[in-house]
Amino acid sequence: MMSAPATAANAPPLGKEGYGQLHSLLFLLVPAIVVAALPLMPFVNNYIIAAVVRALIFIALGQAWNVVAGIGGQLSLGHGVFLGIGCYTTGILFNRYGVPPWLGMWVGVLLSFVVALVMGAMTLRMRGVFFALATVSISLAMVQISRHFVDLTGGGDGLALKFFGDSLWAWQSRTPAPFLYAGLMLVMLYYGVTRWILVSRFGLEMQAVRDDEVAAAASGVAVFRTKIMGFVVSAMMTAVAGTLYIQFYMAIDPDAAFGLSQAIQLQLPALLGGLGTATGPIIGGAIMIFLSEVTNWGSTKLGVEGLDILVYGLMLLVVVLRAPKGVVGLLPRALQRGMR
Amino acid sequence: MTAAFALEVREVGKNFGGLTALREVSFTVREGEVMGLIGPNGAGKSTLFEIISGNLPPSRGTISYFGTDCTAMPPHLRRRAGMCRTFQKVRLFESMTVEENIRVAASQCVAAQRSVPEEVDKILGQMRLEAQADRRPSELTLADRKRVEIGRAIAGTCRLLMLDESMSGLTHDEAQHLITEILALNRSFGITVIVVEHVLSVLAAMVQRLVVLHNATVIADGAPTQVANDPVVIEAYLGTKQKALR
Repeated sequence: MMSAPATAANAPPLGKEGYGQLHSLLFLLVPAIVVAALPLMPFVNNYIIAAVVRALIFIALGQAWNVVAGIGGQLSLGHGVFLGIGCYTTGILFNRYGVPPWLGMWVGVLLSFVVALVMGAMTLRMRGVFFALATVSISLAMVQISRHFVDLTGGGDGLALKFFGDSLWAWQSRTPAPFLYAGLMLVMLYYGVTRWILVSRFGLEMQAVRDDEVAAAASGVAVFRTKIMGFVVSAMMTAVAGTLYIQFYMAIDPDAAFGLSQAIQLQLPALLGGLGTATGPIIGGAIMIFLSEVTNWGSTKLGVEGLDILVYGLMLLVVVLRAPKGVVGLLPRALQRGMR
Repeated sequence: MTAAFALEVREVGKNFGGLTALREVSFTVREGEVMGLIGPNGAGKSTLFEIISGNLPPSRGTISYFGTDCTAMPPHLRRRAGMCRTFQKVRLFESMTVEENIRVAASQCVAAQRSVPEEVDKILGQMRLEAQADRRPSELTLADRKRVEIGRAIAGTCRLLMLDESMSGLTHDEAQHLITEILALNRSFGITVIVVEHVLSVLAAMVQRLVVLHNATVIADGAPTQVANDPVVIEAYLGTKQKALR
């Protein structure tokens, strides 16, 4: 017997989760359209567009970190290594050999893949705080290493990209608008990747390992292989965001890539928005950059330096104490499921 | 050819520095058997359990599983081969639903001819967990949490089920229900069962054979009534509780 064709009248009603996903989709689609339309709005200047690009870059970095830390439960403090690899590889290949960024980016991804395999093999058998300390040590060592090789990296002064003006080949522009679209596409791509991971067998394995490694192994999950895979995927995603970072900022230095402050900033979008969710880093990154702009403005007005760092610290404190599941965790449960 | 023994533990020893946790422990478990492992606190039951399931390497000796030496096999490969276990303190994936908890194991261990959703539905039905499928473990009673853990343990391929004090913390009725379900698994699917338990009366009613550990070594191995009358066991462990086994 043939089943009746689906129509609006006989379609099954949306469950709570269905409404949650619908809300989530609208919640993301509307801002995405608004962001895409920003350059067309008469009252929006380049300063505002640049702030949104910064937000998008940090959201993408947060999304990448969220894969290993939020979904996989491995609190890496060394993801600056992969941001640095993305930035420096693209920059060095472009400045020294004229390799365009769209090609240099893939070299950075490949290098991140190799470094993440080695770094993961060295550190991922450690747990909790030991893993975090091991990864941050590697990142801080990279600060010194990049300072040492002055000819290659520019040392402590950093590396500035040669400027070609408006150039599609060099992924450069005098205005921030092209980076707005590149950032938006990257964030949407990473959102899709995160959602796919969450519902895939790989994501289920990562979440099982995050919840309980011993029980995961007793359920047939190859714990170490799962951790390595999560770490490598996250590292490669970070390296791609690194390319966007250097193309937008046109420069990178050891502290901006591998420093402790950067390591903390990479985590904030996911921590603020909601660890282990696809929507969390987007909400968190938007909040982070908004507060950063407000505090920068406040710093200038009040003449107080470092106000943004103070606000980051306070945000972390509030999140850890009052909302350990981030902003998504404060939403009603039906919405939370849709936001996963 | 089917191996006669589901599990063969041969002269297994374990030292933690100067402390001997297990000394030349040997016993076998026949396929389809329900065997109990008892012993006072510190006898080495948990250490032995961890060695059999692959979480601890033995200092000496070998473990064979259906005729294959698995002494150096990692725990996830043992599980995929059908060696399943529960934990003394229930260990569920707390961020996941009941259905997802079972799906984790089913997706790793399901036989090629079955689909994962089918297997998950089968386990949910078998453990009477359909109504709780979308709930998180924190919303369940202890008895239900234990059923989820057993369900996760038997999802996919399961030939040997090792239960670590699964009755502890349950009421008499809950324990009886769980025993009925475990014995049904044994009868219906031929799953070999090893039970570590402190409630001796419960164990005696459930198992065909008892192995008694004391001071890191096996001091008795036989039918429950035979073990209950063994003077060495009475002296070392059972004391006045022997009546409970009769």
